[in-house]
Amino acid sequence: MSLRSQLEDILKEMKSTGDVEASAIVSRDGLLIAADISSSVNADAFAAMSATMLGAAETAMSELGKGTPDRVVVESPSGKIVAMGAGEKALLVVMTTPKANLGLILLQLGKASKKIEELLG
Amino acid sequence: MKVITGIPVLDDVIEEIPEGKILTYWIDPEVEGNVFAMQTLFTNLERGCKCAYTTIAYSPEVAIGEFNEFGWDVENYENFSIVDLYSGYVGLPSNCQYNASPTDIEEVNEVMKKVIENFDVVVIPVSSVIDVCGEDSIECIGEWYDFAREKESRLICTFVSWPYPEEIEKFVKNNSNAVIRVGGVHHRVILGYYYGVVKVDWKNIKSKAILFKLVKPGGVRAYIPKILVTGPYNAGKSTFVHAVSMRAISVDRLGTTVALDHGHLEYKGFSIDLFGTPGQERFDPILKMLGREALGVILVVDSTKPETFPRAKQMLEAVAHFGLPYVVAANKQDLPDALPPEEIRKKMFLPEDVPIIPVSAKEGDGVYKVIDALLELLTGSWWVKENEPEVST
Repeated sequence: MSLRSQLEDILKEMKSTGDVEASAIVSRDGLLIAADISSSVNADAFAAMSATMLGAAETAMSELGKGTPDRVVVESPSGKIVAMGAGEKALLVVMTTPKANLGLILLQLGKASKKIEELLG
Repeated sequence: MKVITGIPVLDDVIEEIPEGKILTYWIDPEVEGNVFAMQTLFTNLERGCKCAYTTIAYSPEVAIGEFNEFGWDVENYENFSIVDLYSGYVGLPSNCQYNASPTDIEEVNEVMKKVIENFDVVVIPVSSVIDVCGEDSIECIGEWYDFAREKESRLICTFVSWPYPEEIEKFVKNNSNAVIRVGGVHHRVILGYYYGVVKVDWKNIKSKAILFKLVKPGGVRAYIPKILVTGPYNAGKSTFVHAVSMRAISVDRLGTTVALDHGHLEYKGFSIDLFGTPGQERFDPILKMLGREALGVILVVDSTKPETFPRAKQMLEAVAHFGLPYVVAANKQDLPDALPPEEIRKKMFLPEDVPIIPVSAKEGDGVYKVIDALLELLTGSWWVKENEPEVST
């Protein structure tokens, strides 16, 4: 099984959690590695801005001497975005419906990010 | 000895306050403008001039406390004196050598003349004197002006422009050799205050306004809120920001900036914040966000890679479309195949008046020349016409 299809399987599994509208695996410098996103969204911009968001949050946190954040959660009336590191090279980001169960999402996200870290080394 | 204002940029413009001259800081009531007079006094105190500070609306202790707030330890200087017109007013004994009760205008007059004769620089809160002693005291103040000219002292006056009768305003303006207006910026830039040269009779200069903020300690700092550092991928933007900044942070991943670089710099009396942008196309949405409210742009280009120049121009257009001043830093001049600035100007089709400065951000060569060039553009272009105060004639 190719690395790409292994990564895509992880994203599919994320989607089966329910309430997940889109997900992506992104390199830390903002390049799209794998995505499960509808064609109406600009996946490249989504990937780049996810890297920006997580990068800025990590720097803000470490500048305050609080270490590395576990995740970034952004909420709006029409949905949530959660970004989480997946090893040194990549990050995982999902977009959900507004009523999504955050606890469940975070649990799945944590499992998925560990798998990605193992795959990408 | 040469007496200067101690105010950034202002000193470059007017050079010095010659003997027998009266300089008035014309202060809008909403602005903490007294600090200008305090800064002028302390600057000259440090240079060894005999300086006197007149206080009438509050006690000498409060006045010294205000100096101390800005880090100016006036009380430790032997060449410093306070003229206490306050204690007599509230019926307290004064422990200052020079003091008078403002209820007796003749006594005040006598003391002030003694001070003007004995000191190089005398700070007088003209509008406060009028507030306390009444409008008629303007005649007295006129005598001090004349006396200072005769004795070749210098008066630093503050005038808070409450709605005083027009003839008082006219009298103060016409009798001052220099008027520096300190006001708020109400148009376009909401952020700040400005000071501007309205009149200087010993030098021929154009009206000019500079943004400032007050720093405690420190005093008046010309204020440039945000300078954007942009340019193509791998041009050396982050390296540039780190090379000029006193402290800087970068959000970079896998060797490239993904969010921004931020650097802060205190330089030639200016406080400067530098914001470095990412260079790759996929981060362009951020470019516009970072460019908001920037006052100037530094475009960093890799002088060895002319193929990136079109992208450089595209980025410049994205951030500088409000007519922001910009300078070009021709980076990587330490490499053998780097193009010289004039070659870059030709290849990029840039106007003749755009400064292109050869630098090596890695080695730190020439980076401050870039800042110099931009500051020159900014302070030259900063005469906010809408705020130009009208000088009554």
